[in-house]
Amino acid sequence: MGKIGFTTTVPVEVILAAGLIPADLNNIFITGADPGDVVDRAETLGFPRTTCGWIKGIYLSAKEAGITDVVAVTQGDCSNTHALMELWQADGMNIMPFAYPYDRDRDLLRLQMRKLMDALGTSEEKTDKVFRELAPLRTKLKRVDEMTWKDGNVTGAENHLWLVSASDFDGDRDDFEARLDAFLKEAEKRETAPTGRPGAGLPAVRLGYIGVPPIFTDIYETAARSGAHVVYNEVQRQFSMPHDTDNLYEQYARYTYPYDVFGRIRDIKEEIKLRRIDGIIHYCQSFCFRAIEDLIVRRELKLPVLTIEGDRPGPVDARTRIRLEGFVEMLRDMK
Amino acid sequence: MIRCGMDLGSRTVKLVLDEDGEITLKRSFDTAAFYREFWKSNDGELRVDTARLGLPESGLTVTGYGRNAVKVKGAQVISEVKAHCMGAARQTGLDDFVLLDIGGQDTKIARVSGGRMENFMMNDKCAASSGRYIENMCGVLQMPLDEISRHFENPARLSATCAIFGESEIIQKITEGTPPGEIAAGVNLSVVKRVLPMLARFPDGPIVFAGGVARNKAVTYFIKERTGREVIVVPEPVYNGAIGCAYL
Repeated sequence: MGKIGFTTTVPVEVILAAGLIPADLNNIFITGADPGDVVDRAETLGFPRTTCGWIKGIYLSAKEAGITDVVAVTQGDCSNTHALMELWQADGMNIMPFAYPYDRDRDLLRLQMRKLMDALGTSEEKTDKVFRELAPLRTKLKRVDEMTWKDGNVTGAENHLWLVSASDFDGDRDDFEARLDAFLKEAEKRETAPTGRPGAGLPAVRLGYIGVPPIFTDIYETAARSGAHVVYNEVQRQFSMPHDTDNLYEQYARYTYPYDVFGRIRDIKEEIKLRRIDGIIHYCQSFCFRAIEDLIVRRELKLPVLTIEGDRPGPVDARTRIRLEGFVEMLRDMK
Repeated sequence: MIRCGMDLGSRTVKLVLDEDGEITLKRSFDTAAFYREFWKSNDGELRVDTARLGLPESGLTVTGYGRNAVKVKGAQVISEVKAHCMGAARQTGLDDFVLLDIGGQDTKIARVSGGRMENFMMNDKCAASSGRYIENMCGVLQMPLDEISRHFENPARLSATCAIFGESEIIQKITEGTPPGEIAAGVNLSVVKRVLPMLARFPDGPIVFAGGVARNKAVTYFIKERTGREVIVVPEPVYNGAIGCAYL
């Protein structure tokens, strides 16, 4: 075991405490040379066309990156992961299941995390030490987020990239922190908000992005070209563990993504108010169960919501683009 | 003052001239033919040849699917959904309504309140509820569009999960001996069934119906029947987007 792959965010402190390299398979897949080709090849192997692009992508990406040990999240993500881990197992890979308890039961969560520590050969003491070491880095990520919505000198795309990378710190937390320091230094000096506001006099529309990270490669740029500033990335922010707690287990109990949608909605509502958001983009991956949760999202959020669906990696398609442009135009007219 | 609206749609391009509040010209072109004839490349940019079309130098507003691909000199560009809301407001004189636009590929639903668009939805990744679906079914049934739109009695049950698979479903109905009129009614109803969940998201106010499919009387009938709401078909459904552009 050198690199430990995982299917969605897991307590990265455990992997680091074991002296291993964390590898978020989603990041490996989407930042690869040709993620669209990976999906095509997974379909050639027999993955149904009508299933999640992320699952198809990470299946082959893990194998091609030579990863043999994977922490697979069996509860708190989706049931497609079950079939994925079984397929990897059939291929001879070492799979360690990890389950976030649906009801946030603290005892069960602690048990799951301890089992992961045992599986990776580390201890609670060592993991807690890493948790404390990471605190300054997590504070810097909170600063990136604050500069996005409060100061306006970090773009929605930059916010997305830094926060989404916090699941594995790109495999090297020291290098990640050094790059983050340099970024913050540069961004703090920026004078004007790089919101991509086209033309003079148009008010920038403040968008919130909720749902899983996009499979589209240029959605933030597309929004910026339409004159919108994405000031909130819900799940990416959760990946950065912005929760004010000095307890490792509590951090993962407050993490909203793997639990019920109502906890997510409470978090989203608070951030909408704080960040003065005009409208919400709800991203759903094609064929994902979360498209059903869109019903609750729309019922609960009292501001315009545009639901967009992405299937395969690549730039935003023409139809999604015209819908996004229309949405931003409407929000601008409403201001 | 002359104002011009242009709707670069997926199936047809629509042009409207408005002189001091009066529509003085309406023209429609097949989309592919329009681009062949009135498109020119200028310094690597594709532009519509407005001079050849005899359009005014100023006061031009463009919308439609093609607006991102083609530049129209001096034109203001607005989204389709806004154009259709403006067109519906102008054609009906209403300030509070739910717009339903069913075009060649798109279905758009928007809530307009106090003359301002408040929210909207569009179909995604599937055109099984669009005008093109009905056109395809005309081909299979060998029935003209006007004829298909008359049928609403005893609709045959069609799943219409896909505009292409729908064709084989119809052929099966024909071989089973289902009368063509009942299949046509089934086609019209299947379009409406696709639209109902979107309409249910905006349950208040009259429905203002625009787009080419608004000329289909059976579709209008089914929308009224299934929603129990008032449905107003705009006088010029096909030109609604272009009229909205000229209204700005």
